[in-house]
Amino acid sequence: MMDLFQRSIFEENLALSFFLGMCTFLAVSRQVKTAVGVGISLIVVQGISVPMNHLLYAYVLGPGALAWAGLGDVDLNFLRLITFLGIVAALVQVLEMVLERYAPALHAAMGIYLPLLAINCAIIGGSLFMVERDYDLAQSAVYGLGTGIGWALAITAFAAIRERLRYADMPRGLEGLGAAFIVAGIMSMGFSAFAGVSLP
Amino acid sequence: MSDANPFRRFLARPNSDPVKSIGMAAAVAAICALIVSATAVILRPAIEENRLAARSGQMSAMLESVPGIAELLDGGGIETFVVDLATGRISDTDPATFDQNAAATDPERSTALSPAVDLAAISRRENESLVWMVRDGEEIKLLVLPVRGAGYQSTIRAYLALEGDLNTVAAFTVYEQGETPGLGSRVAERDFLSGWTGKQIAEEGDIMIDAAAGASGLHEVEMISGASVTTYGTIDMVHFWLGENGFGPFIENLREGTAWP
Amino acid sequence: MALKQLSDPLIDKNPVAVHILGICSALAVTTSMSTALTMSVALTVVVTLAAGIISAIRVHIPNQIRIILQLTIIATLVIVADQLLQAFAFGMSQRLTVFVSLIATNCIVLGRTEAYAMHNPPVPAMLDAMGNGLGYSLVLMVVAAIRELFGAGTLFGFQVLATQAEGGWFVPLRLMLLAPSAFIILGLLIWALRAWRPWLAEAREFALREAKPEARP
Repeated sequence: MMDLFQRSIFEENLALSFFLGMCTFLAVSRQVKTAVGVGISLIVVQGISVPMNHLLYAYVLGPGALAWAGLGDVDLNFLRLITFLGIVAALVQVLEMVLERYAPALHAAMGIYLPLLAINCAIIGGSLFMVERDYDLAQSAVYGLGTGIGWALAITAFAAIRERLRYADMPRGLEGLGAAFIVAGIMSMGFSAFAGVSLP
Repeated sequence: MSDANPFRRFLARPNSDPVKSIGMAAAVAAICALIVSATAVILRPAIEENRLAARSGQMSAMLESVPGIAELLDGGGIETFVVDLATGRISDTDPATFDQNAAATDPERSTALSPAVDLAAISRRENESLVWMVRDGEEIKLLVLPVRGAGYQSTIRAYLALEGDLNTVAAFTVYEQGETPGLGSRVAERDFLSGWTGKQIAEEGDIMIDAAAGASGLHEVEMISGASVTTYGTIDMVHFWLGENGFGPFIENLREGTAWP
Repeated sequence: MALKQLSDPLIDKNPVAVHILGICSALAVTTSMSTALTMSVALTVVVTLAAGIISAIRVHIPNQIRIILQLTIIATLVIVADQLLQAFAFGMSQRLTVFVSLIATNCIVLGRTEAYAMHNPPVPAMLDAMGNGLGYSLVLMVVAAIRELFGAGTLFGFQVLATQAEGGWFVPLRLMLLAPSAFIILGLLIWALRAWRPWLAEAREFALREAKPEARP
């Protein structure tokens, strides 16, 4: 279980190894403060949605999942994308209401990217990987938490670099987003070093 | 006229009304579910047909690429059997109706694999498998085995064709994979697959096939640079399926002539 | 007016390069031009139809559940598109694998429906959506052209630069097929865009000042 946890943070980092969740990753990483806020939101949503989606898949959607209701032949696999999206969207809506009430500054800073968390490829991707690799409930929980932490780590590191880049003297057209993309490319090259590492 | 009224009354409710919220959500959900289900049901036969055609197209293409097979195919054709993997013998299950994919997930027709032996990371292995043979009388000229295993981000499915000595690779065809486009997906391209022809799987009973950059020797295939995990995925799955938990017992029985009940 | 909605998102308000939407797929499917083209067409069709439908019922969508409703409609369109692709263009659907499904999570689609279609009538909404789809397609095709040409020497599968494997001179740059190159190419593209249209450059959060050379004794 520990191996799965640390793998999902480093070698299989959803942001830097699988390039999921890039829109939010690039858009809200201007400041470390906002990045940490987004990272924590993602950990919460990921940590809850992956196990919940697992339960849904195991008892309602998967092939033979409805056996407990006497409908063992029914295979609702093709509905999984839309159901997972529904669960995540509901979780994000709740999160938006909580943030608006208790952390209005963060809510304002995130702007349109908060509802966009609902379709963050990292969150959906996490659930889809969980289905593909057949994790059980405990593994889903660990995987959800691990990938969330990994993504949060990546965006915080990236924000830290971008904050420093603000003081760099570079061509006007390259400032900001252009430099950020190039930095992201270099970071991803660095993380690709983790691919294939398997610890005992 | 009166039929339209309840509907219009519903629509005229303010958006903050809870009844309207639930009603809209239910209506959208119902209509979308209908559309998706209808599409899935209507298109399922066409999609299945495509899948089967693609698979059999792969099989024929692979067979045609093996030198000397064409005449044999004209003569006797290709025979399909179902093999009991544990005993390594041909079983009496009818190959025409045998659904191997269903068997792989059915707890009664498959065996769970412990991580120590699960080299291909497939977690469950079906108890019976299809195999194909091209024979010249009693002599086996070509044995085709379906193999699968975990790649980098998807399951890789392939056919491994062995020559009469049941050790030399006649052809290797990957017919299904969902690896990284442009990198891992090259495992399904001719450049990589043609490197398998002529390689030998085992030496004196030990499975030796491996991948390396700059492959040389009878037991090495060329590593795809930038896609080592995917390439090792194909190697690991061949190790598993030709080992004692896969077709190993069957191949041994074929050599000794005891494969048929 | 209509033309502006179609033409603005091509360059000045390009969803990928200016609004930072739809990046994930821009990285993943641009290793070859044919996959990029299929993704572009699929996304443009989905976003246009989604904008039209959502705009048509926008008055009746309660605020609290708007995201879920939009997502449901978008996901339905994506699933239908995916099934159609599998039924009528099986070879291409195999090459695209999960990326067609990921159109449902493409920020451009939800971003445009949330920002524009929810507040505007159907025809302008559809034009705006189509414009954004075309802007996305433009970026994708440019990036894919560079990556495919230098990564494999081909364009749309046709060998343009003879590779060494075939007895030519060109050694393909394998890094072009890895995602870091997509990041870097996009970064350079944005730089070029902002050099051409200086008003697109981000406002500085503070003024940079030239350090005055200190007077030496």
